[in-house]
Amino acid sequence: MSDSALRVRGLRKQYPKVLAVGGVDLEVPRGEVFGLLGPNGAGKTTTLEMIEGITEKDAGEIEILGLTWERSAREIRASIGVQLQATSLYNKITPREALTLYGSYYPRSRPAEELLDLVQLTEKADAFHITLSGGQQQRLALAMALVNDPELVFLDEPTTGLDPQARRSLWEVVRGMKREGRTIILTTHYMDEAEALCDRLAIMDHGRVLTTGTPAALIQELAVPSVVELTFDGAAPDPGGFAGLIGTGVEARGELWEIPTRDPKSALGGILEAAERGAVPFTQVHIRRATLEDVFLHRTGRSLRD
Amino acid sequence: MLFRQFWMEWKLYTRDRGAMFWTFAFPVLMLLGFGVIFRDSQGPQIRLVRIQPTQAGAFEDGFLKALEEQHLKVEALPPDRAEQEWKEGKVAVLLEGTEPDWRLRVNAYLAPQGMPGMGLVQQAYLVAQARALGQGEPRRIPFTVESPGRVKAPSYAAFLLPGLVGLNLLSMGLFAVGMVNVAYREKGKFRRLAVTPLPKWVFLLAQVLNRFLIAGLATTVLLVAGRYIFGIQNQGSVLAFALVVGLGAAVFMAMGFALSGFAETTEVYGAISNIAFFPLMLLSGVYFTLDAAPKWLQQAVQFFPLAPFLRALRGIFNDGASLLAYGPQMAILAAWGLLAFALALRRFRWT
Ligand SMILES: Nc1ncnc2c1ncn2[C@@H]1O[C@H](COP(=O)(O)OP(=O)(O)O)[C@@H](O)[C@H]1O
Ligand SMILES: [Mg+2]
Repeated sequence: MSDSALRVRGLRKQYPKVLAVGGVDLEVPRGEVFGLLGPNGAGKTTTLEMIEGITEKDAGEIEILGLTWERSAREIRASIGVQLQATSLYNKITPREALTLYGSYYPRSRPAEELLDLVQLTEKADAFHITLSGGQQQRLALAMALVNDPELVFLDEPTTGLDPQARRSLWEVVRGMKREGRTIILTTHYMDEAEALCDRLAIMDHGRVLTTGTPAALIQELAVPSVVELTFDGAAPDPGGFAGLIGTGVEARGELWEIPTRDPKSALGGILEAAERGAVPFTQVHIRRATLEDVFLHRTGRSLRD
Repeated sequence: MLFRQFWMEWKLYTRDRGAMFWTFAFPVLMLLGFGVIFRDSQGPQIRLVRIQPTQAGAFEDGFLKALEEQHLKVEALPPDRAEQEWKEGKVAVLLEGTEPDWRLRVNAYLAPQGMPGMGLVQQAYLVAQARALGQGEPRRIPFTVESPGRVKAPSYAAFLLPGLVGLNLLSMGLFAVGMVNVAYREKGKFRRLAVTPLPKWVFLLAQVLNRFLIAGLATTVLLVAGRYIFGIQNQGSVLAFALVVGLGAAVFMAMGFALSGFAETTEVYGAISNIAFFPLMLLSGVYFTLDAAPKWLQQAVQFFPLAPFLRALRGIFNDGASLLAYGPQMAILAAWGLLAFALALRRFRWT
């Protein structure tokens, strides 16, 4: 038995106009929550769907739970759980019926009651799918991904489009899956989600993996792991010559100036002094640890959100 | 597994009110509506124009009744209107006067209708006289009006019913199969299925079986409505009728599968399927015979799938014909089925 839940080598997918995935390597040990973090169009869905066997790959090797699609397609399908980014169910099916129906496709399946309870949909068990809220539909999609008691679960942007409360309740479901000993591979373009859920992650952009590691290690690797923020009343002014005064970069973002720094304690004095001299009309100062957002910004020069 | 899938398809179908209406209620409403509107037009009738009498006596009433019994369409007009229509040559037989001074004028140019019209009036007069004198009912030789060698239903409802059966099967194939599968593909339902171990053929077979069942039920509903509302029923063998309906359902479903392979989105499919649906519906003689259409069109349409299907079904349903008499039609239908099936195999895609 292989100790890796997933092993991917040189995965590639070329669409007529874009190279969606350009040589991706991944290795995920059993029991881990592994995240693919990247902006829209990075190639996360394409990567996942090639692994799940629904998109034809152009090149590369995929090994799932020690099995390959070429030889053990049925076995793989029976032991993975999948939530697709864009799935619609029939409008007029109820969660209970959906779980029973999809359960019937597998040699072994969990009772609908148990799954409904797990994702807290017992009250809506007999409501038509179309009447469920976005968060409830997404929880049902997660329950459906667990219907066959899979060892390996794929979740594609499980919380996109949900309000903060619904996102948190979904995170709890994912943590529950991990406690049950499943391996989970998820994609997201929210860095807070990646930080909150993932043991390890790969940051993707333009079809390539830029870097892989634990969230803490990725941040630590940054040359400048802290950020000093100056907050303004209204839109931040153009920093202009301010960067020259303090000797590091300054970036205006919204109502903030962000000043990345290696050692915030000693930098702070100089920054405040320079601001005083330049009569910079800031209202507050914050020091924060760098986030995955900063890692992405540092690697690509772009923000995750746009 | 197949049964569960089939049962789920059935449940989902019956929850779709729109589909239920179009499949089950709409054809019956069409039959009711058109069947009632055109209830009177039972075969050709000879029009008899009669000059409106100034006062009607007891004999006039009896005479009028006898005329109507003769299958004559009696129309009473005021003298000047009658004279005008007569002059314009629109009237084949004109009845003037009152008892006992009747006069019949027959239009020489319309002799083929005028002469039998005159004969019928004479007969009615004899009948009315006999009745008035209390001599008992005179015997008449019964007759029917037919169009030998042509399929002609005894009533419009009977003509329409097989048309509606065919139309229902066509729209089931193009919409309940073709459109549904494009929507499933577009919305990712097929992808969700593809990650489960369910063999694809189980899914498709369940869908096809389900549509056969619905086609059978919808046809039965129409037959029952025709039987109890209009008193029309299948003149041929039940087996032949069922065979033709079954073949039709299979061919039109295969067309739906085939067409679904040519469209990425439901919008595109809507356009493609309407290009197939409307000409077939309008030109195949669903609602009316194409007698008035150009000859070439009447012939051409016989090579498309719906017209031969309707011809065979009407032959069986209305004339009690044997299925064997419609070999060429069945062959054309089957050829379309094979073509569509081959195309469906080549073009059908899951993603
Ligand atoms: N079926 C497709 N045909 C053509 N291009 C595609 C297709 N699917 C995805 N792409 C392109 O591939 C790139 C990666 O897309 P995707 O994997 O969906 O990214 P992500 O999930 O990270 O947002 C995008 O540029 C997208 O437009
Ligand atoms: Mg995606």
